[in-house]
Amino acid sequence: MSRNGWMVWLTFAIGMLLSVSPLPQFMEILRPLWLALLLAFWALALPHKVGMVTAWCLGLAEDVLYGTLLGQNALILTLITFLVLSLQQRLRMFPMWQQSLVILVIFGLAQLVQLWLSALTGNRQPTLALVLPALVSALLWPWVSFGLRGLRRRFKIN
Amino acid sequence: MGVRLLVLVVLSVALMVVDARFTLLKPVRSQMSLVLMQSYWITDLPQRLWQGVASQFGSRTELVAENEKLKTENLLLQGRMQKLAALTEQNVRLRELLNSSALVNEKVEVAELIGMDPNPFTHRIIINKGERDGVVLGQPVLDARGLMGQVVELMPYTSRVLLLTDTTHSIPVQVNRNGLRAIASGTGNPERLELRHVADTADIKEGDLLVSSGLGQRFPAGYPVATVKEVIHDSGQPFAIVRAVPTAALNRSRYLLLVFSDNRTAEERANDAAQAQEAQDQQGGTVTPVVPATVPKPVVPATPAAATGPATAPATPAATAPVKPVAHPAPVKPAATRPAAPKPPAAAPASTGGRE
Repeated sequence: MSRNGWMVWLTFAIGMLLSVSPLPQFMEILRPLWLALLLAFWALALPHKVGMVTAWCLGLAEDVLYGTLLGQNALILTLITFLVLSLQQRLRMFPMWQQSLVILVIFGLAQLVQLWLSALTGNRQPTLALVLPALVSALLWPWVSFGLRGLRRRFKIN
Repeated sequence: MGVRLLVLVVLSVALMVVDARFTLLKPVRSQMSLVLMQSYWITDLPQRLWQGVASQFGSRTELVAENEKLKTENLLLQGRMQKLAALTEQNVRLRELLNSSALVNEKVEVAELIGMDPNPFTHRIIINKGERDGVVLGQPVLDARGLMGQVVELMPYTSRVLLLTDTTHSIPVQVNRNGLRAIASGTGNPERLELRHVADTADIKEGDLLVSSGLGQRFPAGYPVATVKEVIHDSGQPFAIVRAVPTAALNRSRYLLLVFSDNRTAEERANDAAQAQEAQDQQGGTVTPVVPATVPKPVVPATPAAATGPATAPATPAATAPVKPVAHPAPVKPAATRPAAPKPPAAAPASTGGRE
């Protein structure tokens, strides 16, 4: 039934590379949540295929990459995917700018949970600048969405 | 859907607790990192390729100029080294007069930076040497100019290094000029360290060099850490505010040195030194005495033969076994000609060494 499923995994792999690629110092604080963006898109497009378990596994991988506690990013990504899935029906109807707004809120919440978790583990960041990546991700959402939709149509992924 | 969420959340929380409190998950993590850490290598690839291309097409004159420069630099360093040998010898003799233990030599190994931590609020880097290369947890990392930080996470072929300027990091230091002790904490700014709890009347001023004091048993003593940039005496504050700039190029260095320090106790060290001395006396004792062991000499394991000059003899056996360097007793001179047991407890070598 599922066709070209490997393309989905390829995008996740690229997302993972993007999330560790070196950036200039002033831009590092703005690094978008690539994996969360990709997960949000695929959860909307292929809810039967990409769900919370996928998100959790990717989160574990991210934990190993970032050297955080195993389960920290897994929890965040699971929460994001849960929220996206539960708003799925509405999100699909929304125009792009409204989708971006919802993404902003969801990612912002997730980043706050992230802040809370890292405070628990003793790495409290002194600022709320942690919410900036959510903003950048929300601004990027239309482009990511268009791009991945094109990809999906091209390779007939379902 | 809600049930699945619940299960996954509980699972993540359980994983986090276990990972924070126990070492149970370390093997899992290191197995996963075996695959995943490749992505740092891949994202570093363009940089490498660019460097490769640049060196391919570097013009001849440039290369010649660089070669000249390196030769001059080498000459200067060699010159300084000669002086250092004499000074170290003198130092060792003075220490003998004072009956204090000899300086310990540290071996170093070159590592290369392959990635930065993506989280902008932590200062951590990833290097291309890991557990299989003999790196241990808490191992100090240097660059050419000073201390950089310590290893905080080991993976099979990579490891994560916490830099001095991370907000969670502190290092015991000493003012080089007068030996005043202090603790330098990271501030989250790559160009700044802060000295905590320095009395307002303490003798510390702008331009002072801070070196590691070796207290705390984590960092070897005597490596430069930072230079004091400003000292603010604010009558409203209980302590002076002292800011310092790390001497190491924390956000620029690409090649780092891993220090394999010797973790024997002072007593064991003294024992070994005594035995070595005894053995040497029996042999006639002409083979360049105490000097080589104490001269800090970078031993690159790939080219053990590259180290030349009189200082080589004792350093080479150590270089042939860089995998277990911490447990290796080699650094303290000719005793190493007899490849001793990998880890000498204080008593064991006393029964075998230098008597026959």
